[in-house]
Amino acid sequence: MFQYIVKRLLGLAPTLLLVGVMVFLFVHLLPGDPARLAAGPEATPETVQLVRQDLGLDRPLPQQFLRFVNGVAHWDFGRSLRTKRPVATEIAERFMPTFWLTLWSMAWSVAFGMTIGIVSAVWRNRWPDRVGMTLAVSGISFPAFALGMVLMQVFSVQLGWLPTVGDDTWKHYLLPSLTLGAAVAAIMARFTRSSFVDILGEDFIRTARSKGLDERQVIVRHGLRNALIPVVTMMGLQFGFLLGGSIVVEKVFNWPGLGRLLVDAVDMRDYPVIQALVLLFSLEFIVINLVVDVMYGFINPTIRYR
Amino acid sequence: MKSRLQTIAAALMLTATVIATPAFASKDVVFAVASTFTTTDPYDANDTLSQAMAKSFYEGLYGFDKDMKMIPVLAESYEVSKDGLVYTLKLRHGVKFHDGTDFKADAVKANLDRVTNPDNKLKRYGLYNNNIASTEVVDDYTARITLKTPFSPFIAQLAHPSTVMISPTALKQWGNKDIAFHPVGTGPFKFVEWKATDYLKVAKFDGYWRKGYPKIDTITWKPVVDNNTRAAMIQTGEAQFTFPVSYEVADVLKARKDLDVVAAPSIVLRYLSMNTQQKPFDNVKVRQAIAYAINKQALAKVAFNGYASPAEGVAPQGVEYAVKMGAWPYDVAKAKQLLKEAGYPDGFETELWSAYNHTTAQKVTQFLQQQLQQVGIRTKITLLESGQRVERVESWQDPKTAPVRLYYVGWSTSTGEADWALRPLLDGNSWPPKLFNTAYYKNDKVDADIKGAQLATTGAEKAKFYKDAQETIWKDAPWAPLVVEKLLSAHSKKLTGVYVIPDASFNFWEADLKQ
Repeated sequence: MFQYIVKRLLGLAPTLLLVGVMVFLFVHLLPGDPARLAAGPEATPETVQLVRQDLGLDRPLPQQFLRFVNGVAHWDFGRSLRTKRPVATEIAERFMPTFWLTLWSMAWSVAFGMTIGIVSAVWRNRWPDRVGMTLAVSGISFPAFALGMVLMQVFSVQLGWLPTVGDDTWKHYLLPSLTLGAAVAAIMARFTRSSFVDILGEDFIRTARSKGLDERQVIVRHGLRNALIPVVTMMGLQFGFLLGGSIVVEKVFNWPGLGRLLVDAVDMRDYPVIQALVLLFSLEFIVINLVVDVMYGFINPTIRYR
Repeated sequence: MKSRLQTIAAALMLTATVIATPAFASKDVVFAVASTFTTTDPYDANDTLSQAMAKSFYEGLYGFDKDMKMIPVLAESYEVSKDGLVYTLKLRHGVKFHDGTDFKADAVKANLDRVTNPDNKLKRYGLYNNNIASTEVVDDYTARITLKTPFSPFIAQLAHPSTVMISPTALKQWGNKDIAFHPVGTGPFKFVEWKATDYLKVAKFDGYWRKGYPKIDTITWKPVVDNNTRAAMIQTGEAQFTFPVSYEVADVLKARKDLDVVAAPSIVLRYLSMNTQQKPFDNVKVRQAIAYAINKQALAKVAFNGYASPAEGVAPQGVEYAVKMGAWPYDVAKAKQLLKEAGYPDGFETELWSAYNHTTAQKVTQFLQQQLQQVGIRTKITLLESGQRVERVESWQDPKTAPVRLYYVGWSTSTGEADWALRPLLDGNSWPPKLFNTAYYKNDKVDADIKGAQLATTGAEKAKFYKDAQETIWKDAPWAPLVVEKLLSAHSKKLTGVYVIPDASFNFWEADLKQ
């Protein structure tokens, strides 16, 4: 196991380098001159030229790329073209709010979604299933921005119980995590249900039942464990997506997270920020995948790694 | 054990007293605004909002009152030499910077020298370097600015929100770049803290030169991107002032007894520019036909929910020397006739681009498309995203191949003076990529008028040049003038003295909060 993890971590470097090259080329292919954008609508050509020099965009592309790679190797991602603050600071300030929001959203949505999924599978095609799946379908189809706005209108404006924006106290986390988690909970519910329905039809479940095990034991000990594998995979994927920062939820609740940073950066062609963010997101996905793989081993000890 | 209990009891009692005593109620105000600040340094900012926020701690030599009338602020008066080259400014006495430095002529020199030095690479370099040759200190309260060529709108330029006085001591201490993180000015509020993701906070400056001001203790500037969220914040009382208010929520806010919704006049002009170098827009009849074909009144109703009025000239009212022509009439029959005379009885096909991709721009372009359809002009709409806009319009190198045809865009004249309303948009030397003459319009008479007005020394003479220029442009119709927007803001009824001024900046030094 340990060897396996080390091997996977070593594989990180080439993957990230590849991502780095691609994102650098991609970003420079985007239409629009960042110097012109940064200089603003009233600027004269001389000013644009000054801004271009200031941002280091007047150098040839290969040279810019070398500077970028060299910087990354020294843990220096450059400065934002827009705010002139170090990219590392910009990202660090927003990472934790996004991380905690993701964690809370995942926590409730996984618990809630899996419960609904299991209940629906056990009482398949009966009313708990119908209710659960109706909830799940609504969760997927109700757009997050609308849900966020409705929640804010009801709980902040009408009832006055919860604050609208900011991330200072636990109260600030309630509405955004509810909004963000709704879709995930729905996906988890449907996923758990289908995986569970499959498992419940397997031979070993029949065996367990026929040897006289209590139904609860059959479901929790035999069913759940085996149904969990695809569910955990899905969980990892969702976690990765949410860590990228949700643009919609961050906009509605003015959350100081990574999603808005990315949108702002793309809008202003803020190359250094886009590059660093994409690198970060790739890294997150790689690490999450690794964690998911390791979790398989705990869930089902028959899975072995080499 | 006992001692610990005692400590807890004591702490509890202390908290109780703190809560019970009605602390000296401090007046804290939250302003919810639409986007993140790019910088606190007005010389390096290109967005109106960052400059409006910077008015918390910075003031200029001249400025604008709430109706966009130019007023002296840190200067008291000025004199111009006969040749229009030398401006001598008398400065206000008894003004202090937040760091205790006295405001004197050396501050004027330090600030203007800074922005005209290309090594500092400031985004507002172009606004000053074209005309300022040198700045000298005559005595402590007299500064002399020499221009390269006579430029009559110069004082208006000093009133531009980017021309502010930064403490020369602080400039020396923090340097050209870092001053943006440690702003020190003469304004009513001192800088406290800037958390880029969340808020920027300023607090009352006790040594402010306008006696008795500011009346509030702190302002927290909160950038909140979403229109509905800002509206929610002002309803919950988490903010006391918000701008802009979207048309959709204006009615909801108006229904609240504790809020005031204000629709202020603006100098934000929306127009449809036509590439006059390309067929069929090289024909003045086609251009006039397009201007006739659009119902501006209906446009203001449909796309702006009535919070706009038909444009009445080349420069909006409120800009100094703007000439009022009256709205361009809506006349479909006349438009069709003009098209026939121009040789396009069945109309033609063309591109319609919008400089913005927000909902209002979407509604505007769809409306324009439908109106032009009625006279046989078929258009293909593209809403340009900011990068595309720069690439396809603003930095297109060769005017001959410029792909822009019909282009929906807007302009706010931040100096409040006709020069900046006409020169960047309609002077023959302002074609992209230099400036924003997206109509590629060139009329020697207009160019001569603009130049003439710059060199003019009296107001009457300037007015004559600008009147002639605007009348010529109106007849040539390089644009179809559309509407002038109104600026919608909302504030708590407890808050007074906060104004949105016509260039979409704010005035708030008189702000007060009833408790």
